[in-house]
Amino acid sequence: MNDVFWLTLSAALAVGIPALATAWAQSKIGSSVAATLAEKPELSTTAILMIAIPETMVVLGFVVALVIMLQGGGG
Amino acid sequence: MSRVRILGPRHRLSEMVGVLQDAGTVHLTRPSAEALHPVPESLHRDEESRLREALENVEATLEALPVQDVQPEIPDAISAEDLRRWEQLAERLRRRAEDLTGRARELERRAVDLDRFLDLFRRFGDLLPEEPGNDGVRSWFLVLRTGGSDSTDRLRGALEEKLGEGFELTVGEERGEGRAAVLRASGEAARGIDDVLSGAGVEEVGLPTRLPGGASLAGATDAMRERRSELRDKVQRLERERQGLAAEHGPGLLGVRLAIRDRLARIEALRTAARTDRAFVLEGWVPEEELDGLRQRIENDFGDAAALEKIATEKWRGEQAPVALSNPRIFRPFEAVTRMLPLPTYGSIDPTPYVAVFFPMFFGIILGDVAYGLTLGALAAWLHHRSDADSILRSVSEVAGACAAFTVVFGFVYGEFLGDLGHRVFGLEPLIFDREDALIPFLGLAVALGVVHVLIGFILGAVSSVRDEPREAVGRGLYALMVVLVAVALLAAVRILPGAFFTPAVVALLVAFPVLIIVEGVLAPVELISTLGNVLSYARIMALGTASVVMAVVANELVGTVGSALVGALFGLLFHLVNFALGVFGPTIHGLRLHYVEFFDKFYSPGGEQYRPFRHVRSEDRAAASLDT
Repeated sequence: MNDVFWLTLSAALAVGIPALATAWAQSKIGSSVAATLAEKPELSTTAILMIAIPETMVVLGFVVALVIMLQGGGG
Repeated sequence: MSRVRILGPRHRLSEMVGVLQDAGTVHLTRPSAEALHPVPESLHRDEESRLREALENVEATLEALPVQDVQPEIPDAISAEDLRRWEQLAERLRRRAEDLTGRARELERRAVDLDRFLDLFRRFGDLLPEEPGNDGVRSWFLVLRTGGSDSTDRLRGALEEKLGEGFELTVGEERGEGRAAVLRASGEAARGIDDVLSGAGVEEVGLPTRLPGGASLAGATDAMRERRSELRDKVQRLERERQGLAAEHGPGLLGVRLAIRDRLARIEALRTAARTDRAFVLEGWVPEEELDGLRQRIENDFGDAAALEKIATEKWRGEQAPVALSNPRIFRPFEAVTRMLPLPTYGSIDPTPYVAVFFPMFFGIILGDVAYGLTLGALAAWLHHRSDADSILRSVSEVAGACAAFTVVFGFVYGEFLGDLGHRVFGLEPLIFDREDALIPFLGLAVALGVVHVLIGFILGAVSSVRDEPREAVGRGLYALMVVLVAVALLAAVRILPGAFFTPAVVALLVAFPVLIIVEGVLAPVELISTLGNVLSYARIMALGTASVVMAVVANELVGTVGSALVGALFGLLFHLVNFALGVFGPTIHGLRLHYVEFFDKFYSPGGEQYRPFRHVRSEDRAAASLDT
């Protein structure tokens, strides 16, 4: 296996695993938020924030993946 | 905001409440002095129940009548006699409207039944006999949903097995959901046939037992069509009559509803007063700039008999005062973004001006495309044209307009017009950098914006707490300093700043760190790390921006790859539309999130009470606002 393979795999994992984690978190938050909004529609702002919060994980994963690709010579 | 106390003779309390309602600037609260007797809740109880009953009556009538887009005719005053008259009229109108609606509904139900029967007749078509069947012979009208000749053969086989030759099965052409079939057999065989049909899962459909004018089954359709059209005409006539009633009485009913709410608001206001044996006291909040006008008005109407005094600032606390956001016209639409969270407390910082600068900027940096910006601008202009002044839609259109302007500007910065189409077709070049290639500069820009935004948040936090909580102000300042030091150290380490900056920055960090722990406690390091996380969170600006441009480029690539150029162009355009929709939604959500979570967290102090001046209820919006209080 050459370096390009490992670099690419690392970058993919760096963004892929947080993406799965974000998706899992959002699925849990999303269903709770839907139930909450049915009873209290005035909480929609909080709901939007709650759904957007886990996305930080995938953003940071993306940055790490980018650094791996660029620093490792893949970019 | 000024806290005011209004004093006057007890017998003129009602008159004073009227003057305050005309002025429409006082947010009334209960007087704070304990020695005073509050006005009993039972004051005007009878009048209130009469008004509420009448309101309920009028509202029920408005629900029964389709009153839309009419201007309310508000009566100047509403006496007990007027109220009775309006109640009687509302009652009469409601009964009439409900009767019309009920009749229309019944006629429509019959017309729908005829629709269904006509549909069945169409499906059974030629299978229906011209004349009603012979005595003793019964017909079953069936729909064979499974389709194909197999199911028909199986049904025929099963019937033969059960009845031998004693039946006649006629199957029609395949139409829509299945084939219509008519089975005829003697009435005595009914039981066996029902068993066969239920065993084969065949659906029997009901046809009308009695046909108009005693016509044959097939010949009845014309009569049924005619009857259906008569029914629909009648429904329309009834609807027109209902609309006529709404047009004639709607403005009056809407007006009297507002007048009743206005009177109820005045009763509520009376109950906020307190009294002694001879005097009344009212207290409330008035915006500083309205104070002189109010004093003048009271002087004009009451002369020396009443007085307005301003309660000294040291006698009340900021948290008690209601909050009215007040910003220059250019920033005002962005108050809608601030209002999505609970209002800031009185005297704390209103973040609206900062939102007005950073929110459209973040949006523009992410979307950054001349064509998308122009499209969004056109949508914003259309929405502006369609919306009422001071409505939430008007604010949304103005915020969208600002976002569109920044999107166009950053479109030129990146040299993007529908992705790289501008470059390919008319040689549009980036003014500063091409974000499709320059990923690291783009990331640097996003994180630098994060540093600036978070720093401003800390500075605002320090400024807002410097008077009441100086220790917290020092803490906020130290966090700001450490964010700057970390940024300088990192920039020096990667040689963007001269290397000589590195050591002093690290030494300063090492000195500031223990001071921060002393000031903010042992959890300070955790908050510092979370602050650095906040700064990195701005990397989403670059991530979303890159995704947006890559999608746009892919849309352009489609033109050459899918069949003919025209199909490719249409496909590409569709892809651009999807990208545009995502490109508007994503930056909005993430722009809001960056503000609410990363920025407001550093200084925002929610929990302020909305300033709701006691005033006349003259529109539905104000009515809703007065009911909220």
